Amino acid sequence: MQKLHQVTLTILFLFSMLSFSSADTADKEARTLLSRLILGEKDNQESALDALDGNGSKIIETFYKVGRVGDVYKCANDDGSFTVYYKDGEFYYNLLDGNQVTEPDNLEKARLGRSAKKKLSKLADFVYIYSPIDQERIDAVHKFGGSQKPEFIELIRRNIDKQPNENLKQAFQESLEISLLKNGTHEEKLNAISYLSDMGSSLSVDFIKAVKLDSEAVLNDEAAEEEVKAEASALTKASDEALKSIESAEQKKELVQSVFFGVNRGSVLLLVSFGLAITFGLMGVINMAHGEFIAIGGYTTYVIQGWFASAYGVDSAAYEWYFVVAVPAAFMVSAFFGVIMERGVIQFLYTRPLESLLATWGISMVLQQLIRLYFGAANVAVASPTWLEGNVNVGGYTMAYNRLIVVPVAIIVLLVTALLMKKTNWGLHIRATMQNRLMASSLGIRSSRVNMMTFAFGSGLAGLAGAFLSQFDNVGPMMGQTYIVDSFMVVVVGGVGNLIGAALSSLGIGVIGQLLEFFYGSVMGKVGILFGIILFLQVKPGGLFTSKSRSLED
Amino acid sequence: MKIISELHKGTDLVLSAEGVNRSFDGFKAINDLNFYLAEGELRTVIGPNGAGKSTFMDLITGRTRPDGGTITFHEDDGHDIDLTKLREYEVNRLGIARKFQTPSVFNNHTVYENILLSLNRPRGVMSALFYKPTKKDLEEIDVVLELIRLTDRKHDLAGFLSHGQKQWLEIGMLLAQKPRILLVDEPAAGMSDEETERTGELLLSLRGKHSIIVVEHDMEFIRQIATKVTVLHQGHVLKEGSFDEVSSDPTVKKVYLGRQ
Amino acid sequence: MTNKLEKSADIGVFIALIAFTIVFPCLNAFTAEGSAMHVSGFQLSVWGKYMCYAVLALSLNMLWGYTGLLCLGQCLFFALGGYAFGMYLILSIGESGDMASLPTFLNWDDLPAIWGPFFSPVFAVGAVLLVPGIVAFIFGFLAFRSRIKGVYFSILTQALTYAGFLLFNSNETPFGGTNGFTNFKVLFGADVNTAAIDQGLFIASGVLLIGVYALLTWLLATKFGKVQRAIRDSENRVRFSGFSTTHYKVFIFVLSAMVAGAAGALYVPQAGIINPGEMLPARGLDIVVWVAVGGRSSKFGPVIGAILVSLLKSYTTQVFPEYWLIILGGIFVFVVIFMPDGVVGLIKKVIALMKGDPEEIDENIEEETA
Repeated sequence: MQKLHQVTLTILFLFSMLSFSSADTADKEARTLLSRLILGEKDNQESALDALDGNGSKIIETFYKVGRVGDVYKCANDDGSFTVYYKDGEFYYNLLDGNQVTEPDNLEKARLGRSAKKKLSKLADFVYIYSPIDQERIDAVHKFGGSQKPEFIELIRRNIDKQPNENLKQAFQESLEISLLKNGTHEEKLNAISYLSDMGSSLSVDFIKAVKLDSEAVLNDEAAEEEVKAEASALTKASDEALKSIESAEQKKELVQSVFFGVNRGSVLLLVSFGLAITFGLMGVINMAHGEFIAIGGYTTYVIQGWFASAYGVDSAAYEWYFVVAVPAAFMVSAFFGVIMERGVIQFLYTRPLESLLATWGISMVLQQLIRLYFGAANVAVASPTWLEGNVNVGGYTMAYNRLIVVPVAIIVLLVTALLMKKTNWGLHIRATMQNRLMASSLGIRSSRVNMMTFAFGSGLAGLAGAFLSQFDNVGPMMGQTYIVDSFMVVVVGGVGNLIGAALSSLGIGVIGQLLEFFYGSVMGKVGILFGIILFLQVKPGGLFTSKSRSLED
Repeated sequence: MKIISELHKGTDLVLSAEGVNRSFDGFKAINDLNFYLAEGELRTVIGPNGAGKSTFMDLITGRTRPDGGTITFHEDDGHDIDLTKLREYEVNRLGIARKFQTPSVFNNHTVYENILLSLNRPRGVMSALFYKPTKKDLEEIDVVLELIRLTDRKHDLAGFLSHGQKQWLEIGMLLAQKPRILLVDEPAAGMSDEETERTGELLLSLRGKHSIIVVEHDMEFIRQIATKVTVLHQGHVLKEGSFDEVSSDPTVKKVYLGRQ
Repeated sequence: MTNKLEKSADIGVFIALIAFTIVFPCLNAFTAEGSAMHVSGFQLSVWGKYMCYAVLALSLNMLWGYTGLLCLGQCLFFALGGYAFGMYLILSIGESGDMASLPTFLNWDDLPAIWGPFFSPVFAVGAVLLVPGIVAFIFGFLAFRSRIKGVYFSILTQALTYAGFLLFNSNETPFGGTNGFTNFKVLFGADVNTAAIDQGLFIASGVLLIGVYALLTWLLATKFGKVQRAIRDSENRVRFSGFSTTHYKVFIFVLSAMVAGAAGALYVPQAGIINPGEMLPARGLDIVVWVAVGGRSSKFGPVIGAILVSLLKSYTTQVFPEYWLIILGGIFVFVVIFMPDGVVGLIKKVIALMKGDPEEIDENIEEETA
């Protein structure tokens, strides 16, 4: 399972790198061609324009945009050649390499002929259809199809077979059929309806409804000819069926999607609650400041992102790696705070679990406010590196990478912790200390050191969770509070002191919670899961995995 | 089951456990246990650690449910009551009182209040709200205090008592309940020799008035009080008989006494 | 000895509370504005609110201090009482014909069914007690029956109040969403913005506080109160003495929820607002802070704690608004570690020291912890 995820992740990563480089060549080519368009003779211009067709670089759009307001310039060099510059916003850029420059001397406005301009405008419109990013392509072609303008039909049809993957091909075909719903012959319309219905295209629902309305209008029209009426009735029938089948397909899809999201949500829960499962479950300390440790992890990521941005620039390749640094940093920073808290407060309260709950609540208030004082009360923006942006789209289920990555990470954390507990001396010491603090220390285990390390580890995991949460959730002073109740539920349901239990219960709460929300809406779903947990504890008061103790006193 | 019951025909049974099983995570704590307690009997239960003594107590008092078998309480009027279906307080109200291994008294209440709370008066919420101790109640408390020799500490907080005194107070709390069966778990633990001996005398003096099961480790103490001894081993009755019979039995020696 | 001391302390507390309840509104009514003795209407309602907090703190201490059940969801019962009474207040606006002041979510001509009975003040007052009571009964029965206790109980009560927050915060439920209810105009047919209403509400809060304090005093003296504390100290022993601890715990949980509900109902017209924010887990912990700071081993401690912390809050949020949470958090950590018996415990110790009575000093016997 874990291997599989790693492999997919690597492939995704490599693939995105690959598309970078192909995007780079296309971009260079477009810049050269555009430069030729400005500097070249008429023939040369024609060929440049032809060559630009099918190039999906954004520069074409930008260039058209600035050209329209006359912000394209050429500038004679010393050797008699020319360089093309353009002005976007307040800044000047060299067209060939895209670098920002200070305003060059002797700028001369460059002008384009009317026909060239017109062609360029079309090219700019279609740029997104050739975009190197799949999702942009899909959005663009959906827009063209959805406009149902006949002039795009040819463009879409021509490009279907050029698409590199099935996903894109399907999006192009879908757009074509949607356009045909309005522009096609009767046969084409029927075909389109059946195609869209078969693929369960939710996008087409409104358009099919329009077809239905139109044909119903024809049916009600007394003056219409019999033949037309027959066609209309066929269309009505087909579109009715199509709408029904799309709707049911849609529901099925959403249900499956809910389970899929639920697994993901379970992984997020596992990640945020695992640290708690360790501090609460293994050490008996109720850490109400756990949420703040999550927030500390989020803010660490934010700070490191800021460092990378100012040191290397947001567009640099190095910036892409900030997250790789932020994850261990978040772990370390939160672990550090954990150590301070354990030494400063918690070590005095090991025998008084309720008091440790109260003291850590006090600390949580202090931490929350310190964060507010230092970073402000508003949420801060953490941007994902490019390789975590974008979505996977499998069979119609869209999922952002930055969310998806939590699944393998949660599994890794689980395995690593299990290994630490089972195979290392430290783990042995933890388990010994847990079972009998006194006995362990008389056996020479330095229980205060074990406690400190364990607490640091648990807190560090909270920080780690914060780093990953920052990629798709708000980072703010209240960030941890949203997760704290859920995290406690996970630990209680899992059975205290049982890490496998915590894993299963987060998965269960994640999936069941998502399904409840799917059926009953977000609020009722959340309330439902809380009551579900209370009822579950009626059957299994000790959680999923109870360590059946025979000790007499409570 | 019937056959076994036949054996006890004529004796007045107060408690019988038959074919009881209970396991924890695959470990058989109680394994096909048969046990009979006669009215007014003082029975000592011994066995090595993990023999199932405490689990057996838990099963009788409703703290744990058996996986199989029956535990029956025979009421005065001939009614039989299945204890395995009842909760702790219901078992207790039938007249089965239990003393824990570690003294379990109400530290923040006075000795007097400890006994007062244990009297077998109506114990529902409403009756507790409007309860006023009667003269009879106060007398009963004084009798118990006399018996456990804590009269002079009547108004001290129980938390201030010595370990031995807390053990006695707990026994007093059981007596205040006027139980038919007393389950006493290691009453002599942590007591001085003198206190141990007095505890033994107390238990012997209760014989006949109550049926008593004592779980103990201290062999001297057992020798002092034992009339009939049951040896548990691996959740099963290994041997039953007088102290001399049991202590001279080679198997018992092997599993238990041999280790002493 | 201690009993006599406690009795005289009780009498002192009652006299002080009664005097406060009578004198404070009199100073508002019978002294000239601007005179040194005058108590403004604003101050009156501030102290009225503090007394509601004090009742709330007492209700929590019934559970935490005397039964060992740390409920982190006491704010839910307070808010439920507040909402029940708030619904009545809102409907009074509509009945008075002032449709413009009705909250926008409420469609007067097509009231949600649940609102109907709240036209009746009797029903509303009943609901103030019954709604929190029923919620507490259902939850308490399930929780205590399956022997959920200690920190598990705390965590689940926190989840419970969070669930309440989600429900009331949602726009799908007919309770005004995030904004809750505000801008009350009419109370029992009278304009709320009059001095008489301020005074009346203050006196009502005072009477509630005195009543609850008396109830607690009585309860602790009964056998029930003894069983309650016995459950705190050794639940097992109680069970094996023939008491159904579940019944006792459910009873005290329901009683405490009703008391909290009553406090909430009196709080709402004085604060002029009730919204789901009152049900946030953080609010529940605030109450715990009051009780801990005041001292949970004493009857009067929670009252002192609620008022002290509230005063401190109103002072610091004005003077250093940014540091309020840090100060509160710091105090709380300090209290938990160094003053387990709160302010009252500290005072008791100081008095004992001055008397040179060593036995009083370590009177608090270590509780057996789970």
